[in-house]
Amino acid sequence: MAASVSDASLLAVADLEVRYGPVAALRGVSLEVGAGEMVAVVGPNGAGKSSLMLAIAGAVPAQAGRIAFRGASIRGASLEDIVRRGIALVPEGRHIFGSLTVEENLRLGITVRADRRAGEADLEAALRTFPILGERRRQPAGRLSGGEQQQLAIARALLGRPALLLLDEPSLGLAPAIIDQVYGLLGTIRAQGVAILVVEQNAARALAAADRTYVLNAGLVRLAGTRAELIGNPAFDAAYFGVAMSGGAAAP
Amino acid sequence: MNAFAQYAVDTVSVGGLYALTALGIGLIFGVMRLINFAHGELITAVGYGLLLLSGAALPVAMAGSLAIAVLLALAMERVAFRPLRGADPETLLIASFAVSFFLQKTLALTVGARAKGIDFLPRLGEPITILGLRLQTLQLVTILTSAVLLAALSWFLARTRWGLEMRAAAENFQMARLLGVRANRVIAVAFALSGVLAAAVAFLFVAQSGTLTPRMSLELVVIAFVGTAIGGLGSLVGAAVGGFLVGAASVILQTVLPPDLRAFREAFAFALVILVLLVRPQGLFPARGLKERV
Repeated sequence: MAASVSDASLLAVADLEVRYGPVAALRGVSLEVGAGEMVAVVGPNGAGKSSLMLAIAGAVPAQAGRIAFRGASIRGASLEDIVRRGIALVPEGRHIFGSLTVEENLRLGITVRADRRAGEADLEAALRTFPILGERRRQPAGRLSGGEQQQLAIARALLGRPALLLLDEPSLGLAPAIIDQVYGLLGTIRAQGVAILVVEQNAARALAAADRTYVLNAGLVRLAGTRAELIGNPAFDAAYFGVAMSGGAAAP
Repeated sequence: MNAFAQYAVDTVSVGGLYALTALGIGLIFGVMRLINFAHGELITAVGYGLLLLSGAALPVAMAGSLAIAVLLALAMERVAFRPLRGADPETLLIASFAVSFFLQKTLALTVGARAKGIDFLPRLGEPITILGLRLQTLQLVTILTSAVLLAALSWFLARTRWGLEMRAAAENFQMARLLGVRANRVIAVAFALSGVLAAAVAFLFVAQSGTLTPRMSLELVVIAFVGTAIGGLGSLVGAAVGGFLVGAASVILQTVLPPDLRAFREAFAFALVILVLLVRPQGLFPARGLKERV
């Protein structure tokens, strides 16, 4: 299911392969994210979703394929350089710095900014946008609840002014009401023109929020389409649960 | 009361040296999970640097020796440790032994293994009396140097951008890099700082001992490593406190042990260490997040 890769898209991934020793995590994945678009990648545990995110961010090497951002190849670039080009990753498990204060966590978000003064002003603005973070700015971030940590991780990533935000399982481990908040926040971010690529096991949630969705299973894109094309489509479940599309066999 | 104050001064001056050495080791462990046994060779290099530059004016000799330590630390990182980044802690430890032996043997082959006398800051050996306490000027200088360097390092880590990046890298290196923190720069800054700390220790140590040998820093580094282990590997507060505790244990044992057992003071000190680690294997002040690496 190799999507055509146009240079007009913000992010274009083509035929991407990632292996860990003999284990193939991605076996030729192609996908695109347009400027300002929200795209979801859903799939079961072990489908290769996190590998995809880590490979785009430069945290794991890809053995084959192409990753282009704004038309330029970024495959093989260091993670420090990729974030400077405008791709920010909020990894699974959030990875806030528990021993640092909330404010220090946010300040690390402006590491990539050339204009530190504007960065500091944005940091103050973020503390007002996220009142809970403002209240706790001097507390160790490790004391925040899961939902608050997710807010902190997203706010920190946004302070680098990315053009593309990569989110790995933002709803993982959060209560439904908190997941609503997080997805509400993603809507706001997108309205500000930041493109989002979100990876979820929580397929219904991602499908409803994203403009387009790719279904990933066993390292391959099995299905892709817009929200209208995929919601209620029986092919979606088949792809998600790993049944061959042409075979038409029932899900186990 | 006076006796107590006397012991306190002894403890702080002995412990200060261990604490500064432990901090140099702890900084590198924090960002790289490398226990750098070659830290001792940085101290030794400064000692021989002072000998080499003994003809120059004192500030020049000290600045030159400090530069030697910083450059040697950076070279160690670049040549030996950077290619091994992300390797197991055991591999890194063995590499640091290799660097340590290499430098020791190189020094023995070129300068000679026999002890050399050096007359560095001889006036620090003079006794002075303050508030009824008799002490060496050197003890006072050691205490002041330790206090100033501990304060400066705390300020650097807490208040500067590089300090923040270093603390973030120590907790979760991968996430720090994902935010754009440059791994090479953070690690190089940590090595340079460890060189500065090694130079300070060397100045005090050489002024105290007046002799140089290629193996002169071995005991210091072993004791400082014990300090970092007691304090909790990866925690800088732990490293400093651990260094002082080992100093205190050493002074107290020197006082309370019968004279014929004093030669075995270190054996008793290490027995105490084993006891501490049996009760608290993670050390007294364990660091958070000792998992993700480069």
